[in-house]
Amino acid sequence: MLCEECGKHPAEVLMTTVVNGQAASRHLCRECVKKYKAGDLQGVLAAVLSAMAQKQQSPDITCPRCGLSYAAFQKSGMLGCAECYQAFRSQLAPLITRVQGRAQHAGRRPPLDPKEQERINKMEELRMLMEAAVAMENFEEAARLRDELRAMVPAREEKE
Amino acid sequence: MKDIVVSSRVRLARNYEDLPFRGRITGEQSEACVQRTLDALRELPEIYQLFLLRSADEVERKALMESHLISPDLMQHEEAGAALIRRDEKISIMMNEEDHLRIQAFAAGDDLGGAAENAFSIDDALQRHLSFAFDPQWGYLTACPTNTGTGMRASMMLHLPMLTLLKQMGKVNQLAAKLGLTIRGIYGEGSEAQGNLYQLSNQVTLGRTEKEIMDAVSAVAKQMGEMERVFRQKAEEKDLIILEDQIFRSFGLCCHARRMPLKEFMAHWSNLRLGAALEKLPLSLEECDALLISAQPGHLQKAAGRALEEKEMDEQRASLIRNALNGGTK
Repeated sequence: MLCEECGKHPAEVLMTTVVNGQAASRHLCRECVKKYKAGDLQGVLAAVLSAMAQKQQSPDITCPRCGLSYAAFQKSGMLGCAECYQAFRSQLAPLITRVQGRAQHAGRRPPLDPKEQERINKMEELRMLMEAAVAMENFEEAARLRDELRAMVPAREEKE
Repeated sequence: MKDIVVSSRVRLARNYEDLPFRGRITGEQSEACVQRTLDALRELPEIYQLFLLRSADEVERKALMESHLISPDLMQHEEAGAALIRRDEKISIMMNEEDHLRIQAFAAGDDLGGAAENAFSIDDALQRHLSFAFDPQWGYLTACPTNTGTGMRASMMLHLPMLTLLKQMGKVNQLAAKLGLTIRGIYGEGSEAQGNLYQLSNQVTLGRTEKEIMDAVSAVAKQMGEMERVFRQKAEEKDLIILEDQIFRSFGLCCHARRMPLKEFMAHWSNLRLGAALEKLPLSLEECDALLISAQPGHLQKAAGRALEEKEMDEQRASLIRNALNGGTK
């Protein structure tokens, strides 16, 4: 039997990993066992993925942009494109939190492009106008501004 | 910390928003990845050299890998793999690696901050013209979800001969793992530590800022350095003769040997560096670290201008080391 991790060397060890209460057993070669012992995150990810695959938790989803199926991702641990993160969002969320220990990015971000900056400024302006309208009990105007604001929120942001 | 920390390295993983990741990318799209990176970086004032893996020969590639300017992973992707390397070899931008871009920056000794500054400057220069895949929750998106967030790996190369000798590396490993860090052999994943050299780096990339990641790596490196120093000091106090004998035997051998296989050299090199760190040898840490790289197979062959057989290589290595240690006299 070949190692389930690299598929190159003969498997010599049955490695059982328990990650947050979920156990997974795999046959591994010596080299790959070393990787696990070093606490390699990719190894942890592979263990969690194979535990899920064993339990047949493979939803039948495919990324609409690159065509990668979730089952294929479970096998390789590699995503096909940036859109995969959206397509598999609800499956990836617990997985990423488990492997990384945290769920929210901190740190550097891309610079805002001028259009995006303009949109944010415009929304801020509308919000102030809306508050003013509410204060002046001009509810008709406030409702109109609220709808205008809603229309400016991109779909992705709204979900969160 | 120079007595313990050989070098510092920062890597940022980045992917273009509109291109598929490596598993699904076409040849044409891989070319586009290289082209747009080059176009966006055209304004950089320093001199860079472009290496296309498919046109660089085996010796050249090996030398680049020994200097960590390209990764073993990139070596395996010669059709599309490329690297843009700054002339002083302090910055290397790998293209079509596991991610579209792996921006790497290097600094001698204990200087993660300096390396990070260089890596960020490339990241900024690219983002002035191009968009990377980014998610408000998961940060910079990467081919493998274990790298999302900052996409950063901060690592330090540590020389830990006494911790190794006294079989403390298991303990050290546990200490690192507890803090979300890992220790590996010098040439990255899956390889054994040679020359008692270890690479300490972060594992977790999401939810910590770049500074938090670097601070964690620095703090653990410092702690390991202190442990190593205590053992060195103890050895000097208790078994000075044994310690000196070990250092000077290696020095003597390196000064006179006519053939030096790599594995043997790595063991002696560790003693030389320990001797240099303890100021027992007429050799600086910088000279020692330069020798480590120049005595590797790829560098020896590059210096010879051709591929060498193992025996020839061992002779060339011995000669290089003799020259370095004896200041050119035989």
